[in-house]
Parts: sequence; structure tokens; C-alpha cells
Amino acid sequence: MPIVEKSLVTVDRSDRLEMEGIDVSGDWNTFLRSRVQTDLDVRILDWVRSQPQGDTISRCWQCGTCTAGCCLHTDYGLNEFNPRYFIYLAQVGYEEELRKYATTIWRCVSCNKCVERCPKGVKVEEVIHTIGSYLEFTGGAPESPADRFDRAYTENLLRRGVLDEASLFRTYERLEGRTMPAGEMLKMGFQLLRSGRLRTGPLAHRTRGWRQFGNVLREKLKEDERRRRASLSAAGGRGGHSP
Amino acid sequence: MNPILVLGAGPAGLSAAAEIAELGAPTILVEREAYLGGNPKRWHYSLLAPDLRPSDEILGPLIAKVEGNPRVELHRSTTVTKAERLPKGFRVTLKTGDALETQEVSAVVLATGFDHFDSRRKFEYGYGRYPDVLDFKELEGMIHDDRVLRPSDGKPPRRIAWILCVGSRDLQVGNPWCCRMGCAVSIKQAVEIRQKHPEIDAYVYYMDIRTYGLWEDLYWKSMQEYGVKFIRGRIGQVTIAEGGSQLLATGEDTILRRPTEVPFDMIVLASGMEPGTGTQEAAALFGVPVGPEGFLTPNLSDMNPVDSGLPGVFLAGAATGPKAIPDSVTEGMGAALRAYQYARN
Repeated sequence: MPIVEKSLVTVDRSDRLEMEGIDVSGDWNTFLRSRVQTDLDVRILDWVRSQPQGDTISRCWQCGTCTAGCCLHTDYGLNEFNPRYFIYLAQVGYEEELRKYATTIWRCVSCNKCVERCPKGVKVEEVIHTIGSYLEFTGGAPESPADRFDRAYTENLLRRGVLDEASLFRTYERLEGRTMPAGEMLKMGFQLLRSGRLRTGPLAHRTRGWRQFGNVLREKLKEDERRRRASLSAAGGRGGHSP
Repeated sequence: MNPILVLGAGPAGLSAAAEIAELGAPTILVEREAYLGGNPKRWHYSLLAPDLRPSDEILGPLIAKVEGNPRVELHRSTTVTKAERLPKGFRVTLKTGDALETQEVSAVVLATGFDHFDSRRKFEYGYGRYPDVLDFKELEGMIHDDRVLRPSDGKPPRRIAWILCVGSRDLQVGNPWCCRMGCAVSIKQAVEIRQKHPEIDAYVYYMDIRTYGLWEDLYWKSMQEYGVKFIRGRIGQVTIAEGGSQLLATGEDTILRRPTEVPFDMIVLASGMEPGTGTQEAAALFGVPVGPEGFLTPNLSDMNPVDSGLPGVFLAGAATGPKAIPDSVTEGMGAALRAYQYARN
């Protein structure tokens, strides 16, 4: 369906033109200015290159072999999933454009056909994920339901070292801002309890020695986070080049 | 046997003269400039693509073979002003300063080489008007002396762009051919700069990258090891960026399909190769046919690239078209052999 901004159209013609039921008569009196790329930002490329999984990014010469074989792009017709393009946007540092794909990028199913076929030895799948990580770490992508679920899942797991499905369910429902009708919840809970697939409250599983192990794990996660921030701020410190 | 005349003391001419002398024949080597070594010496080429060996390491031994060689008569700062055909060979007039000298020679090797395209003719790029727009032959000298600084304010640049195919593959300046060297030399310069100054970002604007044959390795390394960046598109114009201190390169990123106007501290033009003045003069003097591009045309460019087809006139190096130093050296050797065979019989 065409988008018609009436203020951009002068209606001084008598011919009536209709497209898909919308009146588009008149002459367009303006051009939309094309978006101009005005700077090359090296930060994304520098950071991706500095990561062990991302260092092959700079080999890419944009031949498109990866995209041609990508099952998401071709078989599933997800045209916007274009690994070659993601790499180019990262190479020239076009962050604004790249951010549009911050969630799409994670739809890669890691079939690795691209890696097998790349004539320059770019580890496309790893590079794409590294670019995705950059976007995520720099806080660009709006949090998706999947992201919220991941967060709830990790927190739940860290508590006892084993999932508590009932509380995970409650937390996630709360994060999504919705509640299941009590009747349905009871019905589902009862079925799950009876089949032994749900153990909660006094029946919940426990991991032996979790207190100690969990502390180590939490420490490790914190450490990872610290390292990630340090590498990002190192890349950011190099800065752009605006005059 | 009358001596064999070699015209031009660049890589091809030096190689030809050295080999003729090696075969045992007397040689006259005539060079227009006061020094030997041709364009590589004239512009102080730094490291040579693709192996990044210093140019002196390659030219030095060639020059040494010729200088002080008892069979080679050297004429620097000399031109040939007249050539008369004899039953065998030519009677040539050599002019050094105001002094004229006549010599009879049994054969001629024309190794008169190329000139770099004068980038001022590609006026859109502002070469000659904006001090920070350089020709890549000037950057060679800067890299050689390790003084890569902006000519305008003497400050080190943070970001440099190379524009390929300046005066090559361009009907507007009448040069539709490829210079063969521009890609490799520009990439080599970017690598050299990134080696010494990793804080400088290097961008190459290209239409195709023609690092042919084994030179491809240089291109690959420049990306993987030195992080040289390549943007597809031909820059349309260079202007002064807002604020006045930087240059603004306007073009289209043909992969993004988007116009780009990016500021750079320095812009380097990969100027192409044109038939040298000496080559044009030699063509007229010895009656060698020239192609539409102005380069000398070998009789059978595939079977016998060093024969002009005229008796006793042989060709070597960039006089017959853009050529790398190793190819020029090889052709010098081939022309030496052919000239010797002709002169001996």
C-alpha cells in the first residue's frame, strides 16, 4: 500500500488517480533527500576484529557467496537476513543501519554453509554472532520477549542450580505484563505435577553444593561482564573522526 | 660490430644494456636524465610491490652492472635528436647539453618507458589546488623518508583515502586502459603506513581490485593483517570539508547503494601510466607504429613482444604498455638477445 503524505502533493490536476483504493492524484512537489553516509566509524570493526571469533571479518570482500547459500536468506525467504550485508555495515561502521538488524542477526541457525563456502576463509557464522554481540552489549536492540525469557531463565537457574518451572513461569508472565487465568494455570500445573515434569516448592530438585558452585558461576559471569565492558570501552576510546 | 644503442636507463633499459654487454657486444646507453633508474629513481619509490623489497635493492645491482662496465658507454643527460637508417642499423645524433655527437649503431633497443598521469587533468579531485590531495608517487617519497605528514599543516593524518584509477580506465581523460600497478602500489602504501602507524585508518576506493597473479597475496594480507579497508565506488569529487581543515570525498558506496560524503585528512591519487615523452619522440625518430593509446606497438605482441617489426629496432619495458618492474627487466633481457642476434649477423 503506498504511503501518501498529502502535504507533499500539489492537487492541481483534474485526472483522478487511485492506487489500491487510495487517492494519489496530483503532482509530487518534492523529492525525498537520500540518506548520505557522512562518516566511517572504525569502532565496530575494531571491536569485532579484536574478538577471537570475529577476527576474520576483515578478510571479507563482499562476493556474496555466504548469502547465496544462506538457508535463512534463500530457503526461508528471509531476505533481510543477509550476512554479507551485515559484515559490510560493520566494516564501514554504519551502526545506525546495522541496528535495524540487531534481532534479525540472531535468527542464524548456524548451519555453517557460509563458512564452508567462503573463498576467503571468513568464519561468517562466528563473525555474524560477534556483530550481534556488539549490538547487544552496546544496548541497541529493544528487548524482545525471547530476551526477557532468557533473563528470567538465567536468574531462575542461578538460584538453586536447577530450574523451578513454576516460578520461571510466574516471573516470565510478570515480565510480559500478563497473567494466565487462575483456572487454567491450576489445570496445567496439576497435569505437569502428575506427570512428574514439574517439581516446585518442597518437591523441587536441588543441586548438591550449589551455594559454593553458584558463587563461582556468579563470579565468572561478573568477570565476563567486566571484560566485555573493558573491551568495548577500549574500542570506543579510539572514537570516530568527526572534525 | 657497431655498438648497440639502448635508449632509456629505467629497469628495462638497464637490464638490456647489462645483458648486451654480457653477450660481449659494445653498448651505448643513453638517458635523458642525469641519473640512472628511470621513474623508480625519479620518484624515490619506497618498497616495491608485491614483496615489499626496497627499490634500491632491485635497482642498485642493475645500475652497478652498467656503471663502470667497460663495454657500456654511458651518456647521461643526453637525448637522440636524429636517426638515419643505414643498410644495417642507424646513424644517430646524440645531444648532451649543447654538444652534438654522431655514432653509428648496429641495432636499437627502445626502453623509453612511461610517465605518470598528470593528476591535475582530473580536476574534480583538486590535485594541485588542495595541498593534502597527493599523487601516490609523492607519497612514495614521504613513506621512503618516513615523514607521512599533511602538506597543509605538517600534522600527521588520522585517516587517509586512496582513489584508484586516476587517469586510467577513464574516457574523459582519453585513457581507457588499466595501469596494472595502481591497485598493488596503493595497497602496498596502505600496508606500509599501517605497519608503521597503526593509528592511521586506511581506506581504498575501488571499482575492481586488479592485483593480478600472485600479487593477490598482498591484497589479502592488507585486509587480514593490516586492516586496510576497501569501499567500492569511484569518488566523484573532492572538496574542502566544513571547517576547512579536512577534505571531503563525495562518491557512492555502491554496496550500500548510498551517497557518501566522508571527511579525510589526506587523499592519495593512484595516477595511471601514459606513454612517456621519450616514447613519443622515439616513435617519431625510428618510425615505430604506435597504438591508439600512444604506446609503441610490437609487431607480434603475443609471439615476439620485443620486436618492433622494423629491422634493427627492438622494444622493452613500459614503452609498449603499462608494466611492472620484473616484466620490464625480463623484456630488457629479451630485447638484448634479439638485438644482439640482429647485430651479429
